[in-house]
Amino acid sequence: MFTKGFPQDRLITYSGMLWLLAAQVVVMLPFLFYLPIWLFPILFFSAGWRIRVMLGKAEQPGIMIKIIMGILGLAALKFSGIPIVSLEMTASFLMLGFAYKSLEVIDRRDGMVVVLTGFILIGVLFLYSQSIVIALYSFISVVVLTGAMIAIQQSGKQHSNQNSRQNTQSKIFSNLRLSSSMLLLCLPLMILFFLFAPRFQPFWTVPNAGGHAKTGISDSMSPGDIANLSQSDGLAFTVSFDNERPKQRDLYWRGLVLQHFDGVTWTQEDPETPPRQLGTNTSFTFKQPKSQIKQQGEAVNYKVIYQKTGRPWMFALNPVVDIKGPAGFTSDFRVMAKTDIIEPVLVKLTSYPDSLKELNLDETTRLVNLQLPESENPKSRLLAEQLFSASASKEEYIQRVMNRFREQQYFYTLRPPLLGEKDTIDGFLIDSQKGFCAHYAGSFVFMMRAVGIPARVVAGYQGGEWNQKGEFLAVHQFDAHAWTEVWLEGQGWQRFDPTAMVAPQRIEQNLEAAMQQEGSFLEGKVLSLNKMKWLNGLRQQLDSLQYGWQRFVLNFDSETQQNFLKNLFGEMSIQKTMLVVGGLFGSITLLWVGFLGLAKKQNIEAPEHRLYRRFCDLLAKKGVKREIAQTPEAYSQLAASQLPIFAEVINEFTHSYSTLCYNPAAAAEPRIHLDKMKSVLKQIK
Amino acid sequence: MQNILKINWKSKTNDWIEERFPESRQVTLNLKRIFVFPTASSLALLIAIILLFVMGVNFQNSLAYGLCFWLLALIVIAIYFTYGNLSGVTIKAIKSQNCFAGEKAVFEVNLSCPTEQKKSAIHIGWKDQDLALVDLNDSHSATIKLSHNTTKRGRFKPERLNIFTRYPVGLVIAWSYAQLDMQSIVYPAPILQNDLNNSQTMDDEAEQGLEIARGTTDFSGVQKYQAGDSPKHIHWGAYAKTGKVFSKTFVDYASHDLWLEFDALLAIQGTETKLSHLCALVLQYNQEQQTYGLKLPDRTIQPASGDAHKNTCLIALALFGDDRQKQQKPELN
Repeated sequence: MFTKGFPQDRLITYSGMLWLLAAQVVVMLPFLFYLPIWLFPILFFSAGWRIRVMLGKAEQPGIMIKIIMGILGLAALKFSGIPIVSLEMTASFLMLGFAYKSLEVIDRRDGMVVVLTGFILIGVLFLYSQSIVIALYSFISVVVLTGAMIAIQQSGKQHSNQNSRQNTQSKIFSNLRLSSSMLLLCLPLMILFFLFAPRFQPFWTVPNAGGHAKTGISDSMSPGDIANLSQSDGLAFTVSFDNERPKQRDLYWRGLVLQHFDGVTWTQEDPETPPRQLGTNTSFTFKQPKSQIKQQGEAVNYKVIYQKTGRPWMFALNPVVDIKGPAGFTSDFRVMAKTDIIEPVLVKLTSYPDSLKELNLDETTRLVNLQLPESENPKSRLLAEQLFSASASKEEYIQRVMNRFREQQYFYTLRPPLLGEKDTIDGFLIDSQKGFCAHYAGSFVFMMRAVGIPARVVAGYQGGEWNQKGEFLAVHQFDAHAWTEVWLEGQGWQRFDPTAMVAPQRIEQNLEAAMQQEGSFLEGKVLSLNKMKWLNGLRQQLDSLQYGWQRFVLNFDSETQQNFLKNLFGEMSIQKTMLVVGGLFGSITLLWVGFLGLAKKQNIEAPEHRLYRRFCDLLAKKGVKREIAQTPEAYSQLAASQLPIFAEVINEFTHSYSTLCYNPAAAAEPRIHLDKMKSVLKQIK
Repeated sequence: MQNILKINWKSKTNDWIEERFPESRQVTLNLKRIFVFPTASSLALLIAIILLFVMGVNFQNSLAYGLCFWLLALIVIAIYFTYGNLSGVTIKAIKSQNCFAGEKAVFEVNLSCPTEQKKSAIHIGWKDQDLALVDLNDSHSATIKLSHNTTKRGRFKPERLNIFTRYPVGLVIAWSYAQLDMQSIVYPAPILQNDLNNSQTMDDEAEQGLEIARGTTDFSGVQKYQAGDSPKHIHWGAYAKTGKVFSKTFVDYASHDLWLEFDALLAIQGTETKLSHLCALVLQYNQEQQTYGLKLPDRTIQPASGDAHKNTCLIALALFGDDRQKQQKPELN
């Protein structure tokens, strides 16, 4: 409204254009990991064209060229295989426009559009990842975008005269300095908003960000699966305990129950039978069916932050009786997230590890947990029957099977020999006797089911690394483990871990200790921080940093917010909140005013006049007052006669002052005279 | 009705602004004088912020929240930075150049700021006129020339100068006015009336010097009778033919100098046209390095030559009919 009637230079200067391009590249770069790579050449193509136009080497692209390129881009998106209605498509579309826009960035408004789109793209990036690295990178992106915003406001004229390269360079730095100082000064206000702005529930449900690789434990287990997972040093989840931490060997993080065996692979349920008919695994409630659990022993209260896996499984000490967070219970005592975990999520859990589960087994569940493929593994079946007939009770039979693992020549190895397609249990149990936890768990359950004892494989993690600094437990992918549950009359589901028979170090300590002899811990990861003992301190520090980041930044929801504010300011009423926010806002703006020197009284008076005024004040104190109309010379004579001790310096001072006032040659080099005046003032004092 | 209200409101704001920005030679911009407004860009950014907020809420994404609050804070801090970029700037009137009507009057203005500060991308100019872009980085002082269209002769006093800046981020505009005490004199547009031969009469008689109108010596022409003309000069022959009274006019020859005479331009209609014609002649004679005098109904300038004389004549033409002409005004150039 105000700029009407001011036809001004709206064009972006060459350096402004380069700034915009740099900002575009910086913003697009991290999307390399998530979106089609061909979006990048488009940016460079249109940017290259634009630069050639600015240098006068090419024509402005015509409307036809723009339309053709637009259609080509859209067609490429269509055939890139990205689903039409997805976040990825939206992001790609935004990126396409972002890249093309540089073809026609001419005036400031276009530049502003590019910058604003850049800000939104940074927001989109956060939907893909919220890690510390991405956050730090985005900090830089925002600084560069703001620098571009400044650059498009600048006039381009100072460039012409001086050494232009040097000038451009200093300009780049001054722009960066300005934009980063602006943004850093913004931070207190940003934090204020962040802490106090009300948090809302989602307005509507949104599609999940696609492109999330599924990691972690899957819902099926072939003998080699968990061994593969053990080669990863990725973080699975972190746990902080409200009270004392349970013993390392009791840290069984139960996540999946695998009940169906097809001869090679254990799965949650028979893939051929629709799951709803069985109604066991996937039914989902927000309240633990308490009747199934006979609560015993001490409660363990803890908070878990699950890393993104792209799957809904959550791993917890069993059985969980209370959940706070976006998760629910299943009928087989697992905990499951409402949706796939695509970003770190914090859940508060309460478990009673000593409780008894499902004392009355219903018939369907019993049948499911007795299922075995027909007529396979004859040797194992025979062995089971022999052992069972030699035992007086089920408990004794279980003990015999367990002991067998310990007494015979079984090896716990990450490099098990390959087993065939058929009779896999025989292949391990009777022949090779070398295997990883999945082998032991699988064959143990087979042995149970073979003699009619309901049993199932449980997959999850075992143990974890205690971070002394951050006081939390970090559970990594290589802590993945498989064990078993056996149903016994009067005891419900009991946990049995055959691996503990073969490799007690695995349970008491960790995988690394168990694999020390074989040297196969994280074999494929030469550079893994987990292998470099001397870097342990640094690694724990990084883990601790990430933990704090996820705990206090990413999971800052309305509940955390209320607790935080309560801790800081006590019970908050609306008036009190207003008061606190107003006060903080006021102090932040005061900080700005102080930093920018806006409140400083501006020194318009020249230094010589200021010094002369002080000179007069000093002499006045000594009894010689200057009349308003008195010339400096007359005043000096008067003062010298009345204060003979200072006569010489008074004359000197007046001389310097007059020289500065009336001699232009001296005024060009005022330093000597000013220094002399200052020293005189000191003497008189 | 609406129209009246609008006008009232407008003039009221104008009065208020005039009161707030009194005319002076030098103006330093400060809190009292600077207005700060959001720009269209900041509204666009606000839309982007709302988008980010919705994203943050719907995906429960803390970093998107953070980004949205950060940008919000950026708008707030832009107010302080943009204000700081304008505050402390001193605008001083240096000089103005006179011009011919229809040309541009040029005003020289100095902008400066305290030495410990830097200012960038300050726009200064008049509405629909020249707009200059000034940076005060290392020099802390810049003198610029601003031009303003002129349409008619006389004293020209430009309206308030607008000074504004959007630096650094363009989200906020800081705006101020300065009514500088400066003016220029606009000469009449020099337009020679070619279809007239009157000018030649003077040339013909250049040998004898310049005519003084209403003399008695030589017959120079016929003009409509005016009260006060001597009956001796009435052109009876014409009266007999047309029934209208005409006077014969006579001229005296004062000296050898050329005289440019307003009243002698009988064939030209309109004061302004006459002045334009005279203006063109002044320029022509000056170029020919002639000695000439100027006679206006209310003022006579004795014949002389040279640029100073030319300026005196042009100013006299420019200010013809101006009440203040007689008061000796301070010349700016």
